[in-house]
Amino acid sequence: MQFAHVDTDWNVLSDEAFRDRAAALFDQCPQELRNARLRPRAAESRGWYLHLSRAGWLAPVWPRRYGGMELSPSKYLIYVEEMERLGCPRLRDSGVNTLAPILILQGTDAQREEYLPKILAGEHTWCQGYSEPNAGSDLASLRTEAELRGDEFVINGQKLWTSSAFDATHIFMLVRSNKSVKKQAGISFLLVDMRQPGITVRPFKSLNMQEEQCAVFFDNATTPVRNLVGEINNGWNVARAQLGYERLFSGSSRQSMTFLFKLRRIARLTGKLEDPAFVDRLTQITFDVMDLNSAYERMARTLKDGKPLGPEASLLKVWATETCQRVGELMMETADECGGLMGDVQFGDESIELLYPFLEARSWTIYGGSNQIQRNIMAKGVLNLPS
Amino acid sequence: MNAPSAEELDLLRDQARTFTRQHTDHRRLRQMRETLPGHARDVIAQFAGLGWNGVLFPESLGGSATGFSAMGVILEELGRGLIADPLVPGAVLAGRAILHCDNEALKQKLIPGIAEGTITASLAWQERPGTLDPQAIQTLATVDKGLVSLTGGKQFVAFAEAGGFVVSAKRAEDVVLVWVPRDTPGLKLQMQWRADGTPGAMLALDNATVPQENMAGAGKQALERAIDEAAAMACAEMVGVMRAALDITTEYMRHRVQFGKPIGSFQALQHKAVDLFMQQELAAAVAAEAAEVLDREPRKDERTRIIARAKARCNDACLRITRESIQLHGGIGTTDDCDIGLYFKRALTLSAWLGSSPVQRARYAPFTRQECELDV
Repeated sequence: MQFAHVDTDWNVLSDEAFRDRAAALFDQCPQELRNARLRPRAAESRGWYLHLSRAGWLAPVWPRRYGGMELSPSKYLIYVEEMERLGCPRLRDSGVNTLAPILILQGTDAQREEYLPKILAGEHTWCQGYSEPNAGSDLASLRTEAELRGDEFVINGQKLWTSSAFDATHIFMLVRSNKSVKKQAGISFLLVDMRQPGITVRPFKSLNMQEEQCAVFFDNATTPVRNLVGEINNGWNVARAQLGYERLFSGSSRQSMTFLFKLRRIARLTGKLEDPAFVDRLTQITFDVMDLNSAYERMARTLKDGKPLGPEASLLKVWATETCQRVGELMMETADECGGLMGDVQFGDESIELLYPFLEARSWTIYGGSNQIQRNIMAKGVLNLPS
Repeated sequence: MNAPSAEELDLLRDQARTFTRQHTDHRRLRQMRETLPGHARDVIAQFAGLGWNGVLFPESLGGSATGFSAMGVILEELGRGLIADPLVPGAVLAGRAILHCDNEALKQKLIPGIAEGTITASLAWQERPGTLDPQAIQTLATVDKGLVSLTGGKQFVAFAEAGGFVVSAKRAEDVVLVWVPRDTPGLKLQMQWRADGTPGAMLALDNATVPQENMAGAGKQALERAIDEAAAMACAEMVGVMRAALDITTEYMRHRVQFGKPIGSFQALQHKAVDLFMQQELAAAVAAEAAEVLDREPRKDERTRIIARAKARCNDACLRITRESIQLHGGIGTTDDCDIGLYFKRALTLSAWLGSSPVQRARYAPFTRQECELDV
C-alpha cells in the first residue's frame, strides 16, 4: 500500500490564515457530535472521522510523507484550539495519537506501510493494552505473557482499563517476554489483531454508569513475529516514544472552564451571590482556573518558540485536573440538596446536570499516569530530588 | 515604550542574575535589620548606574521606558538575593505616582533625580489597613499664600529612610499629592519595622508646610494606578523570593541525611516539594502576565482584574512556599542562622503590603458577580 504523500505545507500559511482554514473545516462537524458529554462510539463518529481523513486533517502531527499534516507546534496549537472552540469530539483515536507516533519513530518500514494507511482509512481501529489488574501505577510489573513459538507469539493474560476495546479491531500491547530479568527489561511491544477466538472483551461500568472501559482476556491468542515493534524485550522504551507535544493538552483549562460555567450558573440561580463569604470562595476558585490558563499559555508560547517542553509540563495536568475537581466540589456544595440528585436538576427555570460531570472528574486525576505518579516524575525530573 | 525583545529580556535577566550573585550577602542583611538605612547603600547606588531606577520612566524624564516586563525581570532576580528593596517602594510606587499626577514641573523636579539616584522618594498614602482605596484618608491639605500645609497621619510607609515623601491628602473633593522633604518642620517619623527588619514608618504631619508648587492634583487616579503597578512589581520580587527559597530547600533535601538516606528521597516530602513548585510556576506565570498587561496600558477594569489575581496568587504562593520550606528544613529552619527564615520574613513583608490576598479578592468580587450574570 502506498502512502498518500501530502503536498500541502500548512506551516507556510500565516497563523491567521491557518486558523481560518481550521475553523472552516471543524465547523463542518455534525451538530450531534459537538459538545457531547461522552466520546462518540466508533460507529457514530465514523462519518466525521472519514471526513477529516479525506480532507487530510486526521493526523495533525504525523510527517507529511505518511499522510499527516506535519504541523509545527504553533500550528498544532491552533488546530487544537479551533477544534475545542467548535466543540468537536475527541475521537477514539489511540491509533492516530498513540500508536502511529510509536510506529513512525520505532517501527519497521513494513509495519508503517501495513498499518498507517489503514488507520487513516478508518479500516483499523486501535486500542491500547498497557494496564493490568496488578499493573496500574507500577506498569512495569505487568504479567500478560507472550511466548515465541516458531514465527508467532502466543499470548496469555489479561489487560484492564482498555478504553473502547469493543470498538477496536486491533490492540497494541505491552507483554512479558522475559521473566528472568529486571522487570522493565523483559517487556515487548506487540501489535495484535483482535479478530481471533483467543481474545475476549468485557466492558464494565464506571462510577457514572457508562461502559467505556474494558477488560481484555488473552487465551492463547497469537500474533506473527513481524508484529513485534522494536527489539524483543525493549518494549518499555518503545512505548515511551512520542512525537512531542501531546502532553500539553492534558493541561488545558477547557474542562475547568466548563465546570466553572456550571458553578456560576448555580450560584446565580440559588442566590448565593448575596453572600460575601461565598463570593470570596468563588473568586478564589476562579483565580485557580485563570492561573492555570496563564501557566498553560506560557508553556504553549515555549512550544511556539520552538523550544522543547520539559518534565515541568506535568504540572499542568496535575493542576488542571485537581482544579477541576475542586470546582466540582464547590458546585455540589453550592447546589445544597440538589447536589444529591441524579440527572438534570431544576434550578428555577433552568436545568443543570451535576452528578454526571462530578463523577466523571474522579478519573481525571488517575488515568494517564496518576497525579501521584506525576509528582514522582516532577520530584526527580524537575526538582532533582534523589531516589 | 521601548519594548524589549525576548533576547533583550534574556540579556537583562543574565545581567541582573550576575549582579545578584555578586551582591547577595545574608550576613550583612542580618546586621542591617532594624537599623537605618536598612539596605546596603553601596549596592543600591549601583542600581542607578545600571539604569534600573529609570526603567519605568519616559526618556524625556531621564528614564529608558523599557517597561514592566523588564522591571519585573530585574526585580525577580534581585528578589532571589533579597536585595531588591527599596526599588519597588521608590522607583515604582513613589516614582509612578508622581509620573501619573498632573504637575509637570514636579515631575521634572523629581523623576530625573529618582532615575539617576540623586533623589530618594517614598510614597505615604495609606492611613488604615485593609483597603487600597486612596480616598480612605483623613489627612488634609490647606493652601494659603503659595504654601500648602498638611495635617494628619500615615502608616505602612516602606522605604522609610527616603529623602522625602509623596504624601496624599484631601483637598475639598480632590486627593492631592504633595512632595514633602524629610527635614520639613512638622513632619515626624516613627519607625514601624517591617517583618523582615526593613524600615517602615508612621508619619505624623502637624501643619507640615511646603511651597504650593510641590502639590499635584489628579491624585486618586495616579495613586490607584501606581499602587497596582507597584503591586505587580512586588509580585515579580516575590517570584524571585519563592524561587530562591525552593532552590535552597531542595538543595537541603538532597543533602540532609536521616534514616540513612537523603530526606529528599522520601515520597511524602517529594510530593510536598512538588506542590510548592506548582505554586511557584502558577505565580510566575500570572506575575509575568500582569507585567505584560501593564505594558499595554490597560483600562482600569482590566488592570484591576489582573493585579488582583496576580497579587493574590503571589502572596499565597510566596507565603506557602517559604512557610513550608521551614517545615522541610526541620528544626534548623526555625533558627535565625538558617537563611530560609530571611526569605519567609520577606514573604510576610511583601504579601501584607499593597493588598493582602483577601483584600485583592474583595476587589475582584464585583467582577465575580458580573461573570455569573454574563454566563448563561
